[in-house]
Amino acid sequence: MSEINNTTIPETATIEEIKDEIVDVKTFYLSFNERKAGEPPKFRSGQFVMCTVFGAGEFAVSLPPSPQNDRFHLTVRKVGKVTDALHELSSGDKVGIRGPFGNGFPFDEIKGKNIIYVAGGIGLIPLRSSIMHVMQNKDKFGRILLFLGARTPKELMYQYNLNEWKTAPGFETHISIDNPVPGWDGETGFIHTLLKKSNIPVKDTVAFVCGPPVMFNAVIKELTDLGVSEDSIISTLERHMKCGIGKCQHCAIGRTLVCVDGPVYTYRQIKTLGEQI
Amino acid sequence: MYLIKKDQVLIIAKELQKEYQVYGPVIEKETKQTMFVRVDDTADLDLKAPIPAVPPKHILFPHYERVMSYRYDKESKKVDIKSDFDDKPKALFGIRSCDLIGTQCLDRFYLGQEYVDEVYRNHRKNTFIVANTCIAPFKQCLCVCMDSGPSAREGYDLNLTDLGDQYLVEAGSDNGKKLAEKLSLAKAGDSHKKLKEDLVDKSVTLFDPIATDNKAWISRVVNRVTTGLIDEKVWEFIGDQCLECGACSFVCPSCSCFNVVDANTGAGSADRLRTWDSCSYEGYTRMAGGHNPRKPVEDRRNKRFFTKLSYSQSKKYLRPGCVGCGRCAWVCPGDIGLPNVVTYIRREIQK
Repeated sequence: MSEINNTTIPETATIEEIKDEIVDVKTFYLSFNERKAGEPPKFRSGQFVMCTVFGAGEFAVSLPPSPQNDRFHLTVRKVGKVTDALHELSSGDKVGIRGPFGNGFPFDEIKGKNIIYVAGGIGLIPLRSSIMHVMQNKDKFGRILLFLGARTPKELMYQYNLNEWKTAPGFETHISIDNPVPGWDGETGFIHTLLKKSNIPVKDTVAFVCGPPVMFNAVIKELTDLGVSEDSIISTLERHMKCGIGKCQHCAIGRTLVCVDGPVYTYRQIKTLGEQI
Repeated sequence: MYLIKKDQVLIIAKELQKEYQVYGPVIEKETKQTMFVRVDDTADLDLKAPIPAVPPKHILFPHYERVMSYRYDKESKKVDIKSDFDDKPKALFGIRSCDLIGTQCLDRFYLGQEYVDEVYRNHRKNTFIVANTCIAPFKQCLCVCMDSGPSAREGYDLNLTDLGDQYLVEAGSDNGKKLAEKLSLAKAGDSHKKLKEDLVDKSVTLFDPIATDNKAWISRVVNRVTTGLIDEKVWEFIGDQCLECGACSFVCPSCSCFNVVDANTGAGSADRLRTWDSCSYEGYTRMAGGHNPRKPVEDRRNKRFFTKLSYSQSKKYLRPGCVGCGRCAWVCPGDIGLPNVVTYIRREIQK
């Protein structure tokens, strides 16, 4: 049995600050209204919450790792009715939160290994959560590499984090945009083509992959061709979700439910589920 | 075990009305269909009525219901949330064995997994169940093939069996026993028990003429559905006949999918509604932004029969998801009720 007591009725949280990330993507800084101060909410990186926009509905969104203080944040792209309504809100407005739900990234099982992150576009949102956790515990892991792809430089998320990671010791970043544009002196081309060129570690390596289905499939092919095992490729899946607790069944994929058995799966699991990504 | 005279049996329902909202089988005058509905006058109840067109699951899992309501004020930025759970005591009088098994599937799924569904738990908290043995099958029944009938083995407070001029009343719980004692029902003996056993045996044999080839042999299909070793063509054949009406899900005693919507009830207020949903709808898996991982209709049909027959799903229900009521075959505008799907898959196995 779960210890969460907000499984059906959301807790309210106040939006304290809103940061524009890229076009249509904003980060909302929130704090719970009814919780005791000084007890930061506990999340596992890779989990998600159901966020209610009052008057519009509810949507699932991935979480950052547990915050140091009472404030946590959600990065959300405007993509449908409910997220549109969320983007209309301003500081001081309230939202509802249920969760956290889901399994989270398997950090204990990958101690000591090299980590490759491959993110496409806003696929960086859930992976950033993992990167933040790993950066806080860097001594427990080997080499850390980030491959980030975006269509244009304007669509590169979390510039402030990227700048910090680029200079962090032991962290290698490869950032690419799809086509060359004036003013961009970095790498260009689809992100999976960069993997082959970059002499990535294959032994004792775990790859985290997140992005649109086309990019995902291309990256998986590249990684497995290079010799990364299917068990060592980890991704987090997105599904239509309504309840978050394994009852509404909208997120069923194969014999599992993304909200309770996922959203984090290895590629081997994804392959055996027998459905599209 | 107790006995009650046939013309007296409805006093059980009358007694239940003192404490519970009583639901039971009623034959609608206009349509001649049996519906399992709430009754004010127990004389409307008909224990001889055929199985209800829609299973009694709607009492514990309504078509649509409000689970919470909220008010939000844009000016003062205040939000006020009220949960709205229905825990009123309800009695299900005269539920058939297959439908009772369906309720058990819902219990195990909603209450027995990692998370407990609070909405269902409140509905289920205070229920009294009076089961009714089927002494003869109806034309679409296949409970004998699904091990879910014709007589309930557990999960009831009282179980009624028609012995001719009287009903055998078996108590399956303390609550049931208390009620029988309160009504000072006559005690039944071993001969009555034997009479019931004979009647159930006879009922099973009556399935012979309707349980033709296509209703049996489900275990082979369970194996195929679990392993996924079924030719794509079979699913396409099945998908071609699906009109995506969702009727099979709505009449299925063990189908439990729901959708959640926030319906505005005025400026600054809304109700969160939970409604039945069906995995046969195209929008069921469609995400914001339009990506739909399960778009082709055969993918969706495949999914439904996976949840009814696969071993992995059986682990959640502790039995197959099909309870053998036969309603899906009855309502399907195509020809893909569960028994026929079993036939199509078996046909492919034999090839």
